[in-house]
Amino acid sequence: MLTRAESGAKGRVDWALVFAASSLALIGTLAVFSAASPLASYASILRTHFMALALGALLFLLGMNFNYQIFQDQAKAVYFVALALLAIVLVAGSAHRGHRAWLHMGFFTFQPAELARVVMILVLAAFLDARARKMRDLSTILYTMALAAPVMVLILKQPDFSTALTFLPIMLGMLFCGGADIAHLLAFVGYGLTTIAMPLVYTFVRFHSAELKTEAAARFVMRTSHFGAATASVLLAAAALCLIAWRLSVLLRLRLRAAYFAAIPVVLSAGVLSGIFVNGQMKGYQRDRFVAYVAPQADIQGAAYHVHQSQIAIGSGGPWGKGLFNGTQSQLGFLPERHTDFIFSVVGEEMGFLGTMAILCLYLLLIWRIVAIAKLARDRYGFLVCVGLATMFAFELTLNVGMCLGLMPVAGIPLPLISYGGSSLVITLWSLGIVANVYSRRYALL
Amino acid sequence: MIRDHSALQGRLRFLWTLIWLSGVVLGLRLFQLQILQSSRYKLAAERNRSQIIPQAAPRGRIYDRNGVLLATSVPAFTLIYIPGKRRDNVDLRPLARELARELKQDPRGLYAKLQQAVRQETAVRLAENLPRATMFRLSELKSIYPGIDLIVEARRYYPFGRFASHLIGYLGRIDPRSWERLRGKGYRPDSRIGRLGLEGVFENELRGRDGGIRLEVDARGRIKRILERIDWRAGDDLHLTIDASIQKVADEALRNSKTGRGAVVAIDPRTGDILALSSQPDFDPNALLSPDPRVVIKQVRDLPEFDYAISGNYPPGSTFKPIVAAAGLNEGLIDPDESVYCPGYFDLGHRRFLCWQHSGHHEISFLMGLAQSCDVYFYKMGLKMGAGVIERYEREFHLGRKTGVILAGESGGRLSGPAARAESGRAWYDGDTLNLAIGQGSLLVTPLQMALVAATLANHGVIWRPHCIKRIVYADGRPDYVQSPEKVGFVQLKDSTWSLLWRAMGLVVTDGTAHQAQIPGLEVRGKTGTAQNPRGEDHAWFIAFANRPGRPPSVAVAVLVMNGGHASGVAVPIARQVIAAAFGEGRTP
Repeated sequence: MLTRAESGAKGRVDWALVFAASSLALIGTLAVFSAASPLASYASILRTHFMALALGALLFLLGMNFNYQIFQDQAKAVYFVALALLAIVLVAGSAHRGHRAWLHMGFFTFQPAELARVVMILVLAAFLDARARKMRDLSTILYTMALAAPVMVLILKQPDFSTALTFLPIMLGMLFCGGADIAHLLAFVGYGLTTIAMPLVYTFVRFHSAELKTEAAARFVMRTSHFGAATASVLLAAAALCLIAWRLSVLLRLRLRAAYFAAIPVVLSAGVLSGIFVNGQMKGYQRDRFVAYVAPQADIQGAAYHVHQSQIAIGSGGPWGKGLFNGTQSQLGFLPERHTDFIFSVVGEEMGFLGTMAILCLYLLLIWRIVAIAKLARDRYGFLVCVGLATMFAFELTLNVGMCLGLMPVAGIPLPLISYGGSSLVITLWSLGIVANVYSRRYALL
Repeated sequence: MIRDHSALQGRLRFLWTLIWLSGVVLGLRLFQLQILQSSRYKLAAERNRSQIIPQAAPRGRIYDRNGVLLATSVPAFTLIYIPGKRRDNVDLRPLARELARELKQDPRGLYAKLQQAVRQETAVRLAENLPRATMFRLSELKSIYPGIDLIVEARRYYPFGRFASHLIGYLGRIDPRSWERLRGKGYRPDSRIGRLGLEGVFENELRGRDGGIRLEVDARGRIKRILERIDWRAGDDLHLTIDASIQKVADEALRNSKTGRGAVVAIDPRTGDILALSSQPDFDPNALLSPDPRVVIKQVRDLPEFDYAISGNYPPGSTFKPIVAAAGLNEGLIDPDESVYCPGYFDLGHRRFLCWQHSGHHEISFLMGLAQSCDVYFYKMGLKMGAGVIERYEREFHLGRKTGVILAGESGGRLSGPAARAESGRAWYDGDTLNLAIGQGSLLVTPLQMALVAATLANHGVIWRPHCIKRIVYADGRPDYVQSPEKVGFVQLKDSTWSLLWRAMGLVVTDGTAHQAQIPGLEVRGKTGTAQNPRGEDHAWFIAFANRPGRPPSVAVAVLVMNGGHASGVAVPIARQVIAAAFGEGRTP
């Protein structure tokens, strides 16, 4: 006779996950209620929000009762549907504030990029599961990137830099937990971080050159931002240092592999070069965000304004908050994007430390459940899907809340379940439905 | 299947550790912002949403001696601009253009003001005292351009307009230098401040304490609601000694005189109360508060600020003769019955000094000498008594020194005589004595001083300090300040001297140069004068005092019509109207 647990009668539903998700959606609904109230489009925002909530709940139930393995079987079809939608939006989508991201579907609009994020996780999981034997090969990482590249390029075309950016940590998380070679991943992470660090360094040096003790050094650093003798000499010096380090290690009989000493300068050089390239390619508003991050005092009325107002909103909320509809920062329009990207600040102002800690704890609970379900998953595919989703939620939480708190640069990433946005809410609830399904099918018996 | 894969489980654990660690970092940051630094951010949020708009308090009212309102405050609409905090980079130029059309101001100036408001993040006043029609059109703009709003303020209003302008003064914008000095007292760069006259002298009493409204504004500068009203405190009220009906007559008579330039001062000889103080040309203080800046600019450029009544220096001419006569009679140096022959001129050495009546007065003695203002008679008497005696009596009558009236810019005139001349190190000649005897030469007086001389003659020698404030009613409940008469001097003359002087000055009106000053039922005494003016037409003088028969004189007047020529036709009728008004004839309601 089967035990109750084994029969699944008790364990069909992960109530902690459902509790975390519905509590977050409830807080989000309250926040949208309050934050959007001064807007002219209040009524339509509320209508959209409740419709999305209903549709999302439906999709959650659907996802929970729908065998997730179908996505593994039909990975190719799912992948091409997502690509097709992203291509269509570039042609037929409607532009809003310079982003061509919305698709009109009869009586509602839809953001394919939101769907693409979850689809990418489903597709990558299928791919990595298929390559289980060759996980440690470098080729796996390269294929993964090749798979993600078309989707990312299409999203970058919209252009939506921030959403495209979220693919990188998702890929990293899935590759890492899927068993890819740590050294390879470190090389890519090193490359990526160097690429991002270069514009930050340049911006920092430019705005802090007065405080830096050696002005000549600052000038030299700035000169490297144009490809030339200065850049080449820096790279050569780095290579020479690595060579010396390798010879030293040989002399000292440290038995370290020569490949490491070769890889480090290669990765760093590639990172520096592409960083310099990115630095040259940055758009004005993106540069402003970097400036706001590394030197907020440089222009408090400019790019740093949003972050500054957000911190005022959160800080002024105090322990208990000012009460719903009573936040001056949000209701009077000092807080920008208050019902979307900066909604966490509205919660901070109106619900106080209590509200923000509730969101943080519920989110950690939600991610913890996804991680736990990943461990319980009956197959590698389910495991990888959960890892991908957990990484996605964790990254979006950190980036969005970090931005509101002034810890991260400004990026247009919503806080799932809290921020207003129909597509995001629906897709997020659906993805949680898939997680719930992984949980309900955790026993191979079923 | 996965459960067996311990290596992957380890990696997942590592990922989870990273995730909850970043959660802890976020939590610590939240604790820092919302618990530790909360008060700092609360303040910043408060500063964001509230704007204080100062509201000028109603200035103290100014009344005349009978309670007629001379200056008050009425509610008026002020247009303000509250800059938004959003960095929308709003183009202010269309707003500036639109407002310039409504307000008839220079769009560039408005644009500069708007930009300054944005830079400093403070509200600015764009226009004050808006008329109702403009106001309605501006309220329409409110819905198009955020940040534009109208508030009610107290505006100074002078019911009589052109009326005792120099005495009452006007309100002007504070200039940057004065603001630096006064900012500690609650003045703002756009404050108005009393200028000239009593508005200037009693600025501290009249201004009261400004109030304000603390408004909740949104990020675009739209007013959401009023958070708090900071009550103003009205200024203290001044009650003047001025009689509006007399003042009005004085202003109008002088304005309608031959040249329309000059001064009239009327004093109550029993107390020193100034009943009227007029200087022409005057101005309309209301026009200086006009919402149309072009009107204000024009007014300020042509503002006749100079107060001839207290600051103008002129030779007294023959109005000085009563003092010469008083000196001679009282010292026993003039025998009133001694007659002198006037051929119309007087020769001193090679120089010939003319009488104003070129045909001469023939045989003439003291009474008619003064009544007809015979210059030759006074030349001879002057030489006989000597300039030193005359100079002593100048000092007795407080010439050459300020009367001490509370108004700013008073001049003390200039003494003339051997002693005064010696101080400047130059010699005194007999020719100077002749000039002094008829009030010409280096002797200079103000119309206020001459009015005081008239008052002193009227009350047999008591010199009161001239006052224009009767009472100050403090707004904060302190007991009123009540001005009592201040005796500052006494001219001791023999009774016979007084009666001769009065008789002679009475003859001036009844049989002499000022017959136009006769008023039935009143006894008017006076003396005309013509101040020689090397730069143009002579100035016409007349001093007088009047009483009902059997009563002491209750009004003393000095009239100066600049470039008016001979006194009789010009200055005397003005004095007549003023005296008539003082006795209640033709009083304005």
